[in-house]
Parts: sequence; C-alpha cells; structure tokens
Amino acid sequence: MSPRSRRWIRIALAGPGAVIVALVMMAGMALWLPGGAAGIDNLVLPLILVPLIWAGLFFHACLDRRLGRIAIVAGVLLAIHGGLIAQKFGATQPAATESHR
Amino acid sequence: MIHLPKDETKAMVAVHGWSGILLGLLLYAVVLTGTAAVFAEEIGTWSAGHITSQSAFERPMADTMRALGDRTPKQYHEAVDLFEVGDHDLGAFFHRHEMDKGELISRGIFYVVGKDGRVTHSQQGTDEDVYGPRNDNALSSFLVDTHVRLHVPNPWGLLLTGIVGLSMLVAAVSGLLIHRHLLKDIFTLRRKANPVLVNRDRHSVAGTWSLPFAFILAFTGSFFSFFGTIGVPIVAMAAFGGDVVALTEAVYGTPGKPDPRPAAIGNFDRITSDAIVRAGAVPTFVAVENYGRADAKVTTYHPPKSGGLAPISLLYDGATAQFNQVKPLIGPAPSAGGTLAAIMSPLHFGNFAGMLSKAIWFGLGFAMCYVTYTGIRLWLVRREEGARSLGWLDRALVIVGLGLPVALLASTAAFLVAMPMGSATYWTPASFLIASAAIILAGFLWPTSTAFARVLQGAMAAIMLILLPLRLLTGGPGWASAMAAGQPVIVALDLAFLLTGGMLLWSVLRTSQSRQGAGHRVLQAAE
Repeated sequence: MSPRSRRWIRIALAGPGAVIVALVMMAGMALWLPGGAAGIDNLVLPLILVPLIWAGLFFHACLDRRLGRIAIVAGVLLAIHGGLIAQKFGATQPAATESHR
Repeated sequence: MIHLPKDETKAMVAVHGWSGILLGLLLYAVVLTGTAAVFAEEIGTWSAGHITSQSAFERPMADTMRALGDRTPKQYHEAVDLFEVGDHDLGAFFHRHEMDKGELISRGIFYVVGKDGRVTHSQQGTDEDVYGPRNDNALSSFLVDTHVRLHVPNPWGLLLTGIVGLSMLVAAVSGLLIHRHLLKDIFTLRRKANPVLVNRDRHSVAGTWSLPFAFILAFTGSFFSFFGTIGVPIVAMAAFGGDVVALTEAVYGTPGKPDPRPAAIGNFDRITSDAIVRAGAVPTFVAVENYGRADAKVTTYHPPKSGGLAPISLLYDGATAQFNQVKPLIGPAPSAGGTLAAIMSPLHFGNFAGMLSKAIWFGLGFAMCYVTYTGIRLWLVRREEGARSLGWLDRALVIVGLGLPVALLASTAAFLVAMPMGSATYWTPASFLIASAAIILAGFLWPTSTAFARVLQGAMAAIMLILLPLRLLTGGPGWASAMAAGQPVIVALDLAFLLTGGMLLWSVLRTSQSRQGAGHRVLQAAE
C-alpha cells in the first residue's frame, strides 16, 4: 500500500471512524454498564465518557504504526456494541408486535 | 517527560498545528466569551445596576405561591420552576412537559413577582421564552449565548461548539505529547533570543501551565454541547426505545409512589428558611413537582458547601413542607455516574469556591486565549516565507483576536444606553453585529495588519474608559450607593475596566511614540 493511501486510511480511521465508533459505543455501553447504587450509571457514564472515548480512538489512530491494529481495535469495539444494540432491538421488536396483537 | 519516536512526534506536531488552525479562530471566540461569562452573574449585576442584595428566597413567599397556584390552570401544575430574575425579583414558571418536534419542552405560564409580593409580569410560553434574554440581562445572556452556541440555531450551534471543544482537547493532548522536556519548558523564557523563539517560549509556558485546565474545559465543554444534542437521544434510543421523557424521568425524576389526590401546597417559607440553614446558602433554583397534589415534591438547589465541589440539593415533601433528604443532583441515590455528572458544571464554570475559583478560571481562560492567539501566530510565522496566500489568515487573526473584544465592548456600551429605554434585547446583539461588520471591513482595507492591531487596541482602551461615565450618565448606581447596598462587584468591575483601559492606552501611546522616535532617527541618519 502506498504511503499516500495509508495516510488517507489513517485520516479516515481518526476522523469519521473514531466518531462512528464512539457514538455506537455510547449507545452500547448503556446496555452493559452496571446501573450502580442509583440505577443510572449505565445511562449517565456513557454520556460523560464519550468525548474521552473519541479522543482515545483518535490518538490511537494517529499514533499506532500498524494500521491493521487500529482497524481491529475499532472494528471489535464497533461489532460488540453494535451487536448489543441489534440484539436489544431484535428482542424488543417481537415483544412490541406481541403487545399490539 | 514524554519521549515519542520521531515520526509520531512529527505526526503530533502536525495534529497540534492543524487542530488549532482549522478551528482556532472559533476556539478563540468560544474561550474568550467563556472567560468573560465566568463573571456573567457579576456582569449582569454591574450592567443592569442591580443593588438589591436580599435574595427573593429570603423574603416571605408562601402566600404568593398559593395565590399563583390558584390563578394558574391545573394543566400547568405538573411542575413549577422558581428562580430569581432582575434585581432579586422572584420568577415562577408553572408548566407541563411535552414533546415538540421530537424535543422535550416545557410549556406554561411565567410570573415575575416584585419585592412587595405583587405580580409585575406574566406571560404564556415555553422554556425558551422564559429562560431567553430579558431587557435587564441582555448583556450577560448575550455573552453566555455566544459562548454556548455562537448564535448559531440549535442543535447546530451546540454541535459546532462541541466540535470546537474536541479540537481543544486534541490540541491540549497533542501539546502535552510533543513536549520533550515538560518541566524545563514550563520555566523557559528566553527574553533575549530572536522574536520567534521568544514568542514560542511564551506560547509554550502559557500553554503548559494551563494544560490541565484546557483539558478540563475541553472535556466538560464538549460534554455539555453533545449531552442534549446527540447523547440523550442516542442513549434513550438504546435504553428506552427512543423515549427521551422516560430517560429524563429515570435520571432526574424523584422516585415515589404516585398520589394524585389534591392537597394544598405546604408552607413555602418553612421550606426556604430550612433549606438556607441546612445548605448554608440561599437556593439558586427551586423545582416543584406535582404542585397541588398529595405527592408534591420540592427540591432546592444550592452552591457547593465550603471546600466542596458538587452542588447540593435538598428534597422536601411539598404538601407538608417537611424535609425528606439530601438528594443527589442526578439520580435518586448517590452514585459514581451521578457524582461525576454533578461536578461537570462547577468544573466548567469555576463557581465552586466563590470569587477565588472564578478569578482563577478567568485567569486561566485568559491564558488559553493567549495560547490560541500566539499558537496561530507561530504557525503563520513558520510559513511566512513559503506561502504569501496566508496573508488573509494573518488579517483574520487580528480581526478576530483584537476585533472580537472591541465588538463585545461596543455591545456593552450599547446595552448601557439601550437598557433604560427598554430595547436592550435588540441593541445588544445588533450593536455587536454592526461593530463586527465595521471591524471586518476596516480590517481588510487597512494598509497593514500591525497598524490595524494598534487601532483596535486604541478602540478597546477608549470604550473601556467611557464605560463608567456612560453607566453613571444612564442612571446606574454610583460607587457610594453600590457599596452601601452591599454590591462591591459594581465598583470592582468599574475599576477593572478603568485600569485595563488605562494600561492599554498607555501601551498604545508608548508603541506609537517609540515608532515615531525610530522613524525620526531613520530620517536623521538618512540626512
């Protein structure tokens, strides 16, 4: 791969890539984080942490020499959290259909 | 000390530079208005000439609350917000919550109650109308609005300032990573080196000292910007199938068994006096849920206690006026998430330890403005020889860097004139726009940016020096009456403007004299 295309892939991972993964993580974290003593930690912590998650992904994409590793880390985080959201919607969809009958 | 490999350091230098260049001017505008907005409350008191020092919550309000409840339709009894407006008058917003175009809003009737307990103003409207600018707070409201969303309509304004916050976060972290000798750099100021090195040292020292502050501001600022615009809808979608009201209720609601039986509201005077004793401070805000019902709840919000960081809130039974519990600001019980969310606001606004923390936040905010301004300057100087087309950026830097404070001061002067006539909500932003347009036009027409910078400094000094006479001429309180009324902040702000204006004028005059002297010497040598 040419240095030019490597650079553009890195920019894509650090820019739109990091934003998408951070937003999907924010949604997914609400489903697996514990609620804590007040039962709200899973709702509040993702909202607080999203700028830091984005910054972490951004600097990882800028500083890691291996593009493959950046893509794997971002891809795994995206797949896990995206999967959790899909599972949640998959579970609520039939229940909603049942309740409408 | 941080030792990144050469290539990564180069990448971080590029990231640091571009994060400042792409959004640096917007970042400067957001940080400068935010720095001024640290003292928004004090600026509001100073500009409107408020001299009452007794809070509305220290005056009897029980009868007023009952009377207001009686005259308000029951559909707006779902919630009541109580807060101070104007010169310590009481604002009461009876409302219900509803969804409007996918957004949660409050709609109801807003009353302003004067010091004698009589209603001086009432209006029907939404929270946007109630919490929007009024004639007497148009200036402080304008400052806050510029900082929060740069006057771009929501949600785009908040998204823009959120992105600016993230670019500041990137600049702060990359700035830390490119320091090879962090401790040494903090104290290195080479005064006799060439001008580029001197400026680099100043940028580096100011930036390094304010680095933790920049990180905190950027993090908390982007949190506030993205919270309602992106965060809440996304988390509500994931956890409650998109029901924002359910999320809000889960996070902010007061748990308890619903009891819709009618019941008169308890004695509000007992609630406010008890809350002041328990919290050690007057409430900044009081919220009532289910007014006129047996399950009514009253929450009073107070600033943090001495040495504390998180604000305090107390929960009372609305029908009996009995104290229930110290309530966490967020959530029904103390939790890690609730505490973290509660300290975001004091960390961003610097209002957790009175004037001292506000002064520190103001100073560090000013340092951030300096770092942003000098950072862009350094970036330009490094590219001065290579690209002539960057001249426009140099002009834009002077126009924004020095023109923005001039335009803000012009809107302050306009506010002082317009407020007694009742037209401050129009003239405060209008004068800012007129001044900005004039500065932008002059900035691109002026022969050199250095000469234009001196003109702007002179304008800044002149407006600062006329603010005191203008304030007094338009009916503002004098120093003796302000001090007698327990409002030293009016005198302090007058003095701050006079001193800063005087120093700026002296600096401009000294620079032009030394230039004239240099020109004279050049002519003599030529002869």
